[in-house]
Amino acid sequence: MRRFADVFARRAMRVSAAVPGLIVLVILLALVGKSRTILGLKSFAGLLFGSSWHPLRGDFGFGPFLSGTLWVTLAAMVLAVPISILTAIYLSEYAPRRVRELAKPMIDLLAGIPSVVYGVWGVLIVVPFVGNVLAPAFGATSSGYSVLAAGIVLAVMVFPTIIHVSLEVFAAVPQSLREASLALGATNWETVRHVVLRKGLQGIIAAVVLGLSRAFGETMAVLMVVGNVARAPKSLFDPGATLPSLLANNYGEMLSIPLYDSALMLAALVLFGVVLVFNIAARIILVRVERRSE
Amino acid sequence: MKLNGKAATIVFLGALLAGFGFAGQTAPKPLSGTVTLSGAWALYPMAVRWAEEFKKDHPGVRIDVQAGGAGKGMADALMGMADFGMVSREINPEEVKRGALAFAVVKDGVVATVSARNPLLSEIMKRGIPRARFIEIWITGSVKTWGQALGGNPSKAAIHVFTRSDACGAAETWAAYLGKRQEDLGGVGVYGDPGLEDAVRRDPLAIGFNNINFAYDPKTLKPVAGIAVVPIDLDGSGLVEPSESVYATRDDITGAILRKVYPSPPARDLYLVSKGRPARPAAAAFLRWILTEGQRFTAESGYIPVGPEQLEKGLSILK
Amino acid sequence: MRIRRRRALEERIFKVLMAASAIAVLGGLLLIVGTVVVKSLPALRLSMLIQTPKGGFYLGREGGILNAIVGSLYLASGATLLAVIFGLPIVLYLNLYARPRSAMAVFTRFSLDVLWGVPSIVYGAFGFIVMAALGLRASLLAGIITVALLELPIMTRAMDEVIRLVPQAMTDASASLGATKLETALKVVIRQAMPGILTAVLIAFGRGIGDAASVLFTAGFTDSVPTSLLQPAATLPLAIFFQLGTPYPEVQERAYASAAILTLLILAISLISRTLIRRISKHSVR
Repeated sequence: MRRFADVFARRAMRVSAAVPGLIVLVILLALVGKSRTILGLKSFAGLLFGSSWHPLRGDFGFGPFLSGTLWVTLAAMVLAVPISILTAIYLSEYAPRRVRELAKPMIDLLAGIPSVVYGVWGVLIVVPFVGNVLAPAFGATSSGYSVLAAGIVLAVMVFPTIIHVSLEVFAAVPQSLREASLALGATNWETVRHVVLRKGLQGIIAAVVLGLSRAFGETMAVLMVVGNVARAPKSLFDPGATLPSLLANNYGEMLSIPLYDSALMLAALVLFGVVLVFNIAARIILVRVERRSE
Repeated sequence: MKLNGKAATIVFLGALLAGFGFAGQTAPKPLSGTVTLSGAWALYPMAVRWAEEFKKDHPGVRIDVQAGGAGKGMADALMGMADFGMVSREINPEEVKRGALAFAVVKDGVVATVSARNPLLSEIMKRGIPRARFIEIWITGSVKTWGQALGGNPSKAAIHVFTRSDACGAAETWAAYLGKRQEDLGGVGVYGDPGLEDAVRRDPLAIGFNNINFAYDPKTLKPVAGIAVVPIDLDGSGLVEPSESVYATRDDITGAILRKVYPSPPARDLYLVSKGRPARPAAAAFLRWILTEGQRFTAESGYIPVGPEQLEKGLSILK
Repeated sequence: MRIRRRRALEERIFKVLMAASAIAVLGGLLLIVGTVVVKSLPALRLSMLIQTPKGGFYLGREGGILNAIVGSLYLASGATLLAVIFGLPIVLYLNLYARPRSAMAVFTRFSLDVLWGVPSIVYGAFGFIVMAALGLRASLLAGIITVALLELPIMTRAMDEVIRLVPQAMTDASASLGATKLETALKVVIRQAMPGILTAVLIAFGRGIGDAASVLFTAGFTDSVPTSLLQPAATLPLAIFFQLGTPYPEVQERAYASAAILTLLILAISLISRTLIRRISKHSVR
């Protein structure tokens, strides 16, 4: 009886282990299958880099959305990376243990806040801030709904990802190395710069790439503050649109205009592909870092 | 004598049969099931009202009303995800090809809106904005300041143009008034009719558009607090004449649409779209009720009734 | 002398920058939670929590968010349950049954990594395609399936990390005592890793209940509390999204109240999982 249960359980677990692979395959098949229609009529490069999004005329250029995504993601990373890494360094190398133990749950809390709530905060605080304070300060006019607003909101969303992974990376740096550096007369900061950061560089890169992938795929918070304009932004204060926001906004028109549903599924496929590449890259780096410290 | 007798028997028998048929029809059949409506914000208030009233007679029916824009309504109807799509624009041939069957149920309109805190509000209300200027604001983008919008005004305050980010009838209808399609409208895209209204309310320099029943407060019948409705300078005279001043209350604008003073577009028919004839009994009953008894509630909900011929056409399709 | 001063200066500059960064991060957190709390305080009445919206959720001046609270709880619970049913066996298989380098284990781990990174909007789009193919309407069931897909990789990754930590010595001891692999799994491994497993479930639940993009196309929205799996269900994230942008303060209140409930839920989950790990860790064998 026990043996039977064991064998049965083994079979059942084997079957369930096949599920993730199956899901990936089905998702790919579904997205590719739906995208085929439009790919049969237009070139992939033309779609990807086309700068005109006029579905009624049959123009499905993703260019404005890729551009918007790049602007938003870049703005977010420029803000998030230095702040996150500095915070991680502070928590790991300088802060007393109590502060670190207090800060970690707060950072995890930031990670758990749903993106709609970030969106609420963005609409209430960030958009007016950009429109009424930042834009005039730089001599621009803006309603506040802009790639900058989206970048700021995304940056805060990405903080916990980068900080969390960086903290783990720093923890993996052997304490003996730090001690050796200090024994040689280096200051704390110099130790950080020349030892910890150098050793942890690959891990930090992985953390940044993970943050990048999170930023790339984020939908709701960006949708609420970015302005949703299907034109490539020319400045930080311009409104724009991202690939995820394109999907969320326009799935309603899918059946009214020929090829629209196929175009949107192609956008989903592109998004899937890009995020996939980022995540795999980050994972590979992190695994290598882990292995080296063992 | 014989003829009279025969005729009398026939009449008598006919009356008897009719009496039975009649009795059979008025015997209450408990209706049950779920009806799903999805789509335009323009129809949302009316649909909610209709659902409330219909459920009074048919408590066994559950009616779910969701708004997501006319585009979503059409998509849901065509995919069988909703019984009826609420569509606040004209139906495309492509949609008809996929089986869309449209029933005109009421009429309403789209109005242009600005914030009540607009620095030039009194000027705007006095002079109105002509259609040509709207085109320059939303389509060509050549009007960039409020001074230009009002023609000959020195103000250099920038215009913040807003439109809808979701595929919707309001934008499509407003664009149709300007001779174009929704995708040709410029401006920051905000999700949903109330969303656009809120964005305009918060930004003193904003201009947008809304369905009447979101622009006007259903309780006070005046424009929602924080919003002002932009008069359209219909004759291009540069002034809003008394005949053009139809925006003070909801009844004013609905009256103007009824009398055809307010142009169509931006006034338009609102449709319930189903894929083919509605198959489920609860859905078919609801639609039939809307086309007949439901029409009682249109005026008090802020809508304009469609012509009886359109209702007749709908009813005949249903049979 | 000059070099030492420069090094000290450099250290001080960076210390200031680091402090500023830490303040930015924690300040951001306080600002976000604070904004939600301040805006939602006037809205959190009892009637908000126990009534559904009256007069349509976009327009109604009365009523509350019961539809979203119950809908979200049903949906997230269903999705988390579904994810556990598949996730726990997967992780047990990977750690106890399969050889670490077997093709199956590598492929499964790789697939889980892939799924972990998929943005929730893609899950939503995929869910929509499946719904259309199966003729399913926007419903609680469609939402549960989609969110379960979203939660599965998150849950398995978290579970995997804890189950891996179960000392090999323990599983060996169990095997040497004659236990079958299943018995080892159930009586030893799961018991040892229980706090971690519960935490994984909680984290996945928190992620699932807060996600809007995956339910936007799939679960629908409604004023009523769902009474069957095939009816549309309101959810808290969509309740925020749909009711935030509106000029009617009563409608907006419902959005803020939903945001407050969600944030409180996440806080609670965070606290509970921390105390769980701390308390039961005391009793587990190291």
